[in-house]
Parts: sequence; structure tokens; C-alpha cells
Amino acid sequence: MPGHDWINQKFLERLERLALRWRKSFPGLIGGRNVSRFGGPGMEFLDHRHFHYGDDLRAVNWRAYLRFEKLFLKIFRIEPHAPVRLLLDASASMGLGAPSKFDYARRLAAALSYVALVRLDALVLVPFREALESIMRCVGGRHRFAPIVEFLAELCPDGRTSFLEVARQFVGRFADRGLLIVVSDFLDDDDALKALQYLADFGHELVLIQLWAEHDRVPPWEGRLNLVDAESGAALELDFDATARRQYTAAFDAYCQALRRVALANGGRYVGLPTTLDLEEAVFGLLAGAGAVEA
Amino acid sequence: MSLLNLTLAQFLGLLGAGSAFLVALYLLDRSRRRHIVSTLRFWVEAARAPETRRRHRIQQWPSLLLQWLALALLLAALGDLRVGSAGTPSRDHVLVLDTSAWMAARVADGALMAEARELARAWLRRLPAGDRVMLVRADALATPATPFTADRTLIEQAIERSEPSATALRLGRVLAFADRLRRSGGNAGEIVFIGSGRIAPEEPAQPARIPGALRFLPVRGELENCGLRHVVLRRDPRDPALWQILAKVRNYGRRSQSRRLVLAFGGSPAGEAVLRLAPDSEEEAGFSFRTQAAGWLEIRLFGKDALPDDDVAVLELPALRAIRLLAYTRQPESLRPLLATNPWVRVEVRSPEAYDPAAEADVVLLDQFCPTELPRTHSVWLDPPADRAPAAVRRSVAQVRLSRWRTEHPVAAGLRTRDLWLASARVLTPAPDDVPIAEVDAGPVILARPGRPKAVIFGFQPLATAMRYEVALPLLFANMLRWMAPDAFWRQEVLAHSAGSLTLELGEEAEGEVRVLTDAGRTLPFTRERNRLELFTASPQQVRVLTSAGERVVSLALPEIAQARWSPPAGVRRGLPSLRAQTSPRLGLWPWLALAAGACLWLEGRLYGRFQPPAAHGPKRISWRAVSGWLRRTGVARS
Repeated sequence: MPGHDWINQKFLERLERLALRWRKSFPGLIGGRNVSRFGGPGMEFLDHRHFHYGDDLRAVNWRAYLRFEKLFLKIFRIEPHAPVRLLLDASASMGLGAPSKFDYARRLAAALSYVALVRLDALVLVPFREALESIMRCVGGRHRFAPIVEFLAELCPDGRTSFLEVARQFVGRFADRGLLIVVSDFLDDDDALKALQYLADFGHELVLIQLWAEHDRVPPWEGRLNLVDAESGAALELDFDATARRQYTAAFDAYCQALRRVALANGGRYVGLPTTLDLEEAVFGLLAGAGAVEA
Repeated sequence: MSLLNLTLAQFLGLLGAGSAFLVALYLLDRSRRRHIVSTLRFWVEAARAPETRRRHRIQQWPSLLLQWLALALLLAALGDLRVGSAGTPSRDHVLVLDTSAWMAARVADGALMAEARELARAWLRRLPAGDRVMLVRADALATPATPFTADRTLIEQAIERSEPSATALRLGRVLAFADRLRRSGGNAGEIVFIGSGRIAPEEPAQPARIPGALRFLPVRGELENCGLRHVVLRRDPRDPALWQILAKVRNYGRRSQSRRLVLAFGGSPAGEAVLRLAPDSEEEAGFSFRTQAAGWLEIRLFGKDALPDDDVAVLELPALRAIRLLAYTRQPESLRPLLATNPWVRVEVRSPEAYDPAAEADVVLLDQFCPTELPRTHSVWLDPPADRAPAAVRRSVAQVRLSRWRTEHPVAAGLRTRDLWLASARVLTPAPDDVPIAEVDAGPVILARPGRPKAVIFGFQPLATAMRYEVALPLLFANMLRWMAPDAFWRQEVLAHSAGSLTLELGEEAEGEVRVLTDAGRTLPFTRERNRLELFTASPQQVRVLTSAGERVVSLALPEIAQARWSPPAGVRRGLPSLRAQTSPRLGLWPWLALAAGACLWLEGRLYGRFQPPAAHGPKRISWRAVSGWLRRTGVARS
């Protein structure tokens, strides 16, 4: 995206070597990991078979016909394309942090969209708050990247999060199973784990990317604090010290572990990213290491 | 203990205010603050209920104590806290450095000025660091070179820039000035005088008042030196081309000297004399030197001594300028005795037929002759023909007596002759600007016509009357020539004198206006009392004293050498002060105080700081126990 300060040209050139990967075999699609043992339309030659009436004449091996006077049909390895959906949390809690979690999230979403565009995958970008927002389909090659960036740039963090409602709407709108990438801080007042489990049970392969600001995990404050929830506006007055900080961090880490368990138990993947981590390092390090993308 | 010149009470007040501010900041830091967070889920699990009763109470005494201690230490470090007795407050000293002409004297290991500078620096090193010093350069004047300052570098630079001047030391006024400066400061220190103690000849042996806090650091003062005191050149009144030269030489040392005094004009030797000079005495040498040309006359005293600057004087001699008088007459023999009496006049006699109105002359004399074209320069007309005379002739008279002289006019100045009979004369009718110089009862017979050119018209031929035997006639001619060409009659005198104050006896020319000009044409201030003129120059230069009767060129290039030596009275301290008594600890405690404050802050931050080192990210943390269990399960490792 030349001229935009989210992602520079050098980073985009590196992204072209990546591809989104999934492990499951989805209904209606044969094979996982984008490779199939079955023949079909494709580019890579797999085998020959006898010609039957109604077969495509363009696949006939005319050299073999001249030699054997029989019609043989060339069979190629199919390259399945699973539907990929990216759920982007645009709630008010994502606006916190420096840099804000939402800025980091939409840069990450733009990077994954670019990877999908380059590989001609059908990626659907779905922002959500309490419900699903308007979607953006990312198809057609890298030249369609600019509309995606504009779409992401117009988003701003606001409102509350409701994973249960989002899951319900998602299942209703996207009937075919596929790869589901969720970019969020997962700091829902309700139980987000239940909603994620619901989506996994429906057959989607989950890739959970959790973002957190440094003060989300290790609050720097101490003493008398008056805390306000960014989404609900609820207030809490408390005394906070080093011991409490340790307890807080332990609770946060436990929640992260629970998210991880939900993802892994359902054949998915989990990646936790602090917003202080460089995006390039996050994509090529943690995301690639978790198998969400593959070079 | 001293801190920023504060008393202990002021320091404690300042510390108390800082401490109150610190406690307020501490309480503010511990007060409730509002934060927006992503969720309250984890806070509820971790936090305790607020204790409202302790809201404004200090909860971490050691933290506050450490912060207060750091503040106090930083304050003390910034104030450059010094430990020492309180009896050594900073004082204001006046350092008087002798820069008189004598300080230019050379000794075997350098100049006296270098020795004085080294003494000044040594005294400065022994001074407490907080004391302020003002440097005053002392010669005929006392000139402050720096303000009161504790900046040693500034004072040392001023000491280094101090150079000997051309005047002698006036110790009395210098010490009085330094004492006033010392008392004007806050805490008066001492006056330190560094020099030879050689004072000007008109100075009393002891100043009228010796300041109580005076310290004298002497440099070597007993040196062998001979030098020119002054040189006077005058033209001989009877022979203007002859210069009479008088040089006065003084031996300032303790040994007899035999020195050669050489005169050179334009580089050529013009005279020589050998002078035998007794200790502390003066000798005079006279020369006569004839020249009409202008040039530089050098008087040099040969031989080595301590001060070479006073061994030579160079004077500029002006050219001789005489009046050129061109006389048109048919009786040259009668005029020649009258005109040849004046040595300042060069006479050329021509016949009236050779008249040239453009002839080069200062004065033209026309004897019973009236040309068709008037002369272009000053003229004297003797009995011109009545029909073409420059002044109308009223009538001719015979056997008349000169009854009145207009003595207030310069032409008739000093003429008193009244019983002078004229056999025949023409009474002239004066023009509006003409001034009658001499009159008979019928009217004026001599007229003076001012303007340019000037003219004097005689209604008679003076050499044909009884006036030729009177002294009034040469006096009248001399007055006429002086009135027409006053420059040629100026008395010229050239002097070489020392810089400083100069007194000149004006003599007869004291009546008129006097001007004193420098070489650059600037007017020099002077005082005048009767016939004495006094002026002062601090630097060597040449001045011209212009009076109505003459010009004196005074070359004030000789240094003014002091003759007497001051002996300090018993109460005056001598030598450098002792190092132990004056030196205070130069290294303060501030580095250690600052380090201690930093240590306190570091300790407080370490123990009670808000920013604890972040732990590793929970989700990414590797559990080695889980790893080892997995390895055992997969058979890679055995329990």
C-alpha cells in the first residue's frame, strides 16, 4: 500500500511469500492444507484416464491418441480454496493502549488480507462490536488491496462487545465452514470462551489472535485507583499495590491460557500479541510459528 | 557550614518549604486517580476494598523518608555546601598593580613588570576562592581594570594585559582611590600594592593617609639607569638659522656614570658630548646647530642601563621661514640699512621699470612709484604720486608735526614719538575700512588698509624726513611686516619632555589666546594661571602650544621616571600572606551529596517504585515441567 503509513512497501513484498493455511477438511472441499490427492481442474499434472462422453475435450491428450488411436484424458491436482473469514473486534476497549490495540489490529488485518489477495483466497473481513458490522470481501488479487485499506481506515473503536451475539449472527450468515480468524482482545464481560466454542463446534477452524496493551496485562498504577470500564462505563474503586498487581497478571494469564485451550482443543491455533511487538515480527515470528501463515 | 550565603535559619526554612512540597506531592501521588481500562474482570479478582479512612494518610513512611532525604541532599549539593568555619566570609580586595614607566625597566631575568605580574598571580592563588578582587592599574592615574569579581581567570587575564605606561606613580592619590573602592564593597578586604614604590618627584615622601589594610609586595627598585630628562631647542634670536639645544640628563642610580650624548640630524652626526654623572644628579649639555631645513633631530644617550626608553629623544625641526620683501625703488641705498636690520627679512630690490604684479613675494614695497596694475600681495606704499595713489590725497602740507599715533593698531604698537616734524607730507583721505596710523593736525598721513591683501600707505617718504634718525622708523617697519606676515615672526621652540604633567612658562605671549593641539588636531585641555600653562597627557604624543606670538612643539615621548622611592611605614604588611591562613577547602561536598541523593532515589524507586520490571508474557511462557513431562510421555526421556 504505497503512500500509507500503516504498512510499508517492503513489508508487503515480504508478505507475498506467505499463504494462509488451514488444517481441517471442510464439507464441500477436499483436503486440507490447500493440497488434495484427488484430480480435478488445476495446474499440476496428476494422471491419465479414459475419455468418457461429456468430458472436456481440452483435457484430451492428443499425442497419446495419435499413437494408440484411443482417447485419454489428462487429470490435474486440484487446489482447493477454503473460505476465510476475519472477525475484527472494533469495540471501545480496543481503542486503549499506546499504540492502540485497534490500530494494531487493523494493520494486522490488512496484512492478512494482502496475503489472501495474493494467493487468490476468498477472504471476508467482518468487523464486529455487539453484532456483526458491514462486511468487506477481499477477492481478485493484490490490486484490490486499496479498497480494503480504505475500509479499515474508516473504522473506529466504539461500543461494547458481545461474542455470543456475534457468534450467533456469524453462524446464521456464513453457513459454509471455513477458516475463521478472530482478532480481538477477547475482554468481553460475558463469556467469550463459550461463544468461541460454539463457533468451533459449528465446524469452523479457529485462529484466535489476542491483542493486549502492556497495561492490560501489567497495570502500572498503584495506590488509590478509580477504574472505569471503557465499554460499559462501570466504575470500580480499589486499592492497588504490587501484590494485587501480581494477582491481576496471574488472572489475565489464566484467561489467555483458557483461550489457548479452546483454540487448540478444537484443532485451531492461538497467538497472543502485545501491541509493543513489531507487526512484522508478529507476522513472521509468532503467526508463522503458530502455523496461521506459512511461507 | 555555608550554603548559598544563607544562614542556618534560612537554609532550614528553604528545606522545610521543599519538604512540605514533597509531602504534598507524595499525598497527591497516593490519592485516588481515575483510569479507563479495557475490562474490570481481572481487577475485581485482584484488588482489595478501599480504605477510605487512610485516604490522606502517609502509608509508606520509608518511601517518603527516602524522597525527603534525596531532596535535602540535592538541595545541599546544588547550593555547594561547604564545611568550614563561619569566620571566613568572602571579602573584597583591591589589587593595585604599579604600571608606571619605571616598571618597564629590564633586569637580568626579565622586566620588572613580569616580576610584578608573577607576584600578583601568586597573591591571587593564596586568596580564598570566594573573595572578590578588583584590579587597579596605577601610574599617574588610577585606572580600574576589572570590577569586584571572584572570577580568577578574568583577573589573571587583566594582570597579563597590564603594561607599563609613560608616566610616574602618584602613590597618594592611587592609595586614596583604592581605599574608597575597598570601602564601597560589602566586606572590605585589604589593599595590595605590587610595584617598585618609585614615585613622582612632586609626590611627598609619604602619602597623606596610608590605608590601614595595606599590603606591599615590592619588586626590585634599585637599578642603574641614566636618561634624558628633557631637551629644549630654540632658534637664536640674532640668527634664525642657528638652533640652540639644551639637553638635561639624570643619573637615577647609586653609581657614577660616564655617558656619551650624541646629536644627529637626518641620520648625520651633528654634535657629541661626554657627561660625567654623579649618583642621583643631573647634568646639562648645550649644543649649537645650524640648519634652515626641516628634519628629525635625534638626541641619544649611549650606554647600557635598565631603562632604554629614556635614552633617546627624536624631535621634528621646522624649516626656517623668512619674509620675502620685494622693493621697487630708485634709491636702494637709502632703504637697504632700514630693511637689513631685521634677520627674518630677505630683501630684493628692483627698479620700478622691472615691476611685475605677479612676482613671488610676501610684501611689496613701492617707493614713490605707482604701477598701473596693483600688486597681488601685501604692499607698502611710500609717498605715492598724488594722481594714482591708492588713497585719495586731500591736500599737501609742509612743516607739520606728527601729532598722534593710533597705538591700539598693531602697526603703531609701541610708538610714542610726538615731536617729529615732517618737511612735506600729503594728507590722505581714508577709505571706509582704512585705519589712520599717524596723523598731523590736518589729517592722517599714514593709513593701514586691512583685508586681503593688506596695505600701508605713507603720505610722505619717511627716509626723507627726520624720522630716518628715529628709532620709531625700524619699529614701524617691523610692526608693518609682523602685521602683514605674522607667521614669519612666530617664535618657534621645540621641546622633548616626559609624558604626564607639563608646565610651560608663556612669557610675553600670555596675553592673547592660547590653544593646545595634539598631532591629530584635537584640542587638549589645559589650565592657565597668569603666564603658566599646565597640561597632562597619559600617553606619549606630540602637542603644539599655539599663542599669538609663537608656537611650541612639545614631544612628550620621554618616559616620566620617578626619582624618589617610597618607604612603607611600619604598619604596612609586607610579603605574600601565608597559605594555611588564607586557603579554604576548594573542593566542596556537592559531588558526594549528589551521589548520595541519587542513591536514595534509586533505593526508593527499587523498593517502592511503580514500574516494576514486567514479567514474561503469560501465554508464551514455557513451562519446563510440562516439557519434561511431554518428553517422558513420548519416550524421548526417561524418568
